[in-house]
Amino acid sequence: MKRLKLTRPLTISVGALVAALGCADFAKAETPSWCGPKKASLALLDGYGGNSWRQVTTASGKQVVDQCPSITKYEYADGQGDTQKAISDIKGMAAKGIDALVVFGDAGPAVLPAITSVYKSGKVIVPYRVAVGGKEGTNYSKFIGSSFENDGVTWGKWIKTVLPKGGKLLFLSGPAGNSQGLDELKGLKSVLGSEYVFVNPQPFDVTNWDPALTQKVLTAEIAKNDKIDVIISDFGPSLVGALPAFTKQGKSIPAIATSDGNSLGCFWQENQAKNPDFKLFTVATGNDNVRLAVQWAIALATGGEKPKEEIFKADAFEDSVSGKPNPVQCRKDLPGAIYLSSKLSPEDQVKATSR
Amino acid sequence: MIQNPTSIVINNRQGLLSMPLARSFVTVVLSTLLLLIICAILAPSSISFGALKGSLPFAAIIAIVGLGQLLVVQHGGFDLSLPGSVSLAVVVSTHYPQQNDALLYQAVLLAIAFALVAGFINGLLVSVFRLNAIIATIGVNALLYAGVFATSGGVPSITTNLLAEIAGGESLGIPNAVFFAIAATALVSFTLKKTVAGRRFETIGASPLAGRAAGLNVRVHQMMAYVFAQLLYCMAGILIAGITREPTAFQGDSLLLPSVAVVVLGGTSLLGGRGFPISTVIAAFFLNQLSQFALSVGVPYSAQTIIQALALGFGIGVYSLRWTVNLKKTTGTKIVEERK
Repeated sequence: MKRLKLTRPLTISVGALVAALGCADFAKAETPSWCGPKKASLALLDGYGGNSWRQVTTASGKQVVDQCPSITKYEYADGQGDTQKAISDIKGMAAKGIDALVVFGDAGPAVLPAITSVYKSGKVIVPYRVAVGGKEGTNYSKFIGSSFENDGVTWGKWIKTVLPKGGKLLFLSGPAGNSQGLDELKGLKSVLGSEYVFVNPQPFDVTNWDPALTQKVLTAEIAKNDKIDVIISDFGPSLVGALPAFTKQGKSIPAIATSDGNSLGCFWQENQAKNPDFKLFTVATGNDNVRLAVQWAIALATGGEKPKEEIFKADAFEDSVSGKPNPVQCRKDLPGAIYLSSKLSPEDQVKATSR
Repeated sequence: MIQNPTSIVINNRQGLLSMPLARSFVTVVLSTLLLLIICAILAPSSISFGALKGSLPFAAIIAIVGLGQLLVVQHGGFDLSLPGSVSLAVVVSTHYPQQNDALLYQAVLLAIAFALVAGFINGLLVSVFRLNAIIATIGVNALLYAGVFATSGGVPSITTNLLAEIAGGESLGIPNAVFFAIAATALVSFTLKKTVAGRRFETIGASPLAGRAAGLNVRVHQMMAYVFAQLLYCMAGILIAGITREPTAFQGDSLLLPSVAVVVLGGTSLLGGRGFPISTVIAAFFLNQLSQFALSVGVPYSAQTIIQALALGFGIGVYSLRWTVNLKKTTGTKIVEERK
């Protein structure tokens, strides 16, 4: 899969629009190789659909489905963060006769029995991003993971360039014990030596990816630690509200390695002049993970050619120091809660997230 | 610390203050002081100026929702519509203006209108249709969340600069949210304790039957508990919208338990009756400082949770203990009776 490489913020809208239109035309003109001749129906099942990231992801999945004319019916269900509902959604879709299911298993192994029973009944089922346990061919057709360890490695390498002699790092992730945070930490530690000290409680500060809790946690950490050289967070946008805490305590915002978001990019542009240490590095936030999962599900259900990739790797997206692959991007005219790294055009993201 | 509570109370009473201090007030103040001392020893950074400035706005929010919950608890109810109500105020005050300062006041008025409607529905269901408060408010909570989704689609929106300045800014070095909490406390306290309507409100809470026998309009007073509670939740929601730059659409969810906890810590009986607004607000500070302390100690998350649970258990345990001792000595509930 090719990634859009855009160098100037101004060109994004035009470029993305052209790309999107191009994609749409392409879909009509020529069927992708992963789309086979067999007719099938497909459902996308979310464990929790209540934020913009998920809505952009869902819209991305839909876009892939639209490229394949063999898919006769497309359904979506939102588990609303309720494991019971997520399980009954999975079973319900299979009972309705849907042929292929793509599952965001937020509840982890808790949804594995439901996934296994659907797989055993002869359907195609592809869990993605969150590990649900089990084995390919026994419990599900294919698991499309995201390499969070790769994100950790990417951040670690950048930290080495801006802080070559080592320093104090603060790592924030979501709910306690989430596998994403643990994998990222593994990646970070594989690159960074002992001269880089993590000042947070091991393995990471728990924020639940909630901006209010992030704000509280960061306030406590700033008060406790005289110096923090780099903050690492796996959800950049939830950091935005908390960062002014540095200014309030009379310190400069430090360097940040995180995932991208329009609000974060704009915040950097507004505040970097006043905060000399504020460098920003982001990896793509990974909305496009769903694309690969949907392509696999369609290929298996319609008899198309299997995609070559089996794991989703998020690329680096913005770097305020080198400007490569992109300088920090901000679209002030668009809502903060969109992701310029996504292949879905900003305009389509606005459509997906606004009501 | 609480070995001889009676003497502490009596000293206080005969000393500086001319009005009797409620037991709950003394307990919560002493617990808070103890916590601050522990903070100073074990995690001094948690009471540093910067940390306090950062965490006080959140204490103020817990205090304001606690005051709302207090009014409902005084009438023997529970308001489980708090999460929906706070979240709705948050999304209305961020999504409606879409970062346009000029539309902010309209958004605030709209949020207040929603709060009034929700309050009247709660009040009607509980006081007129005699539904169980828990059931009625759960239903209204679902309705309010429908409103949250209709307004926001579950997506966060960035707040307006004006609201961020008002709610998240500082005056005289103190976060503005604290002033809002102080104003709300003063208003609730004064109304409950010093006005005729407030006294009637407490009387009816203690015994609706006695209130009815005395010729008071029980239904209206009960209904007003829910309406004013909603207005306080709305205020908290709008403040969160300003304090957090990009609040989620579910910001109220994490406030329900703390709101009940501070009411209980503040010494108000869950069976209804006399309410302690000032103690409730201090309990909010206690609870918030407790989580700041747990964060600052720098222990793993599991240990943070245990610390919070233990301290809460201690706070509530102190009450039960004192309550039993008191019961043995007197049949009344007021310290005044133990004076001689």
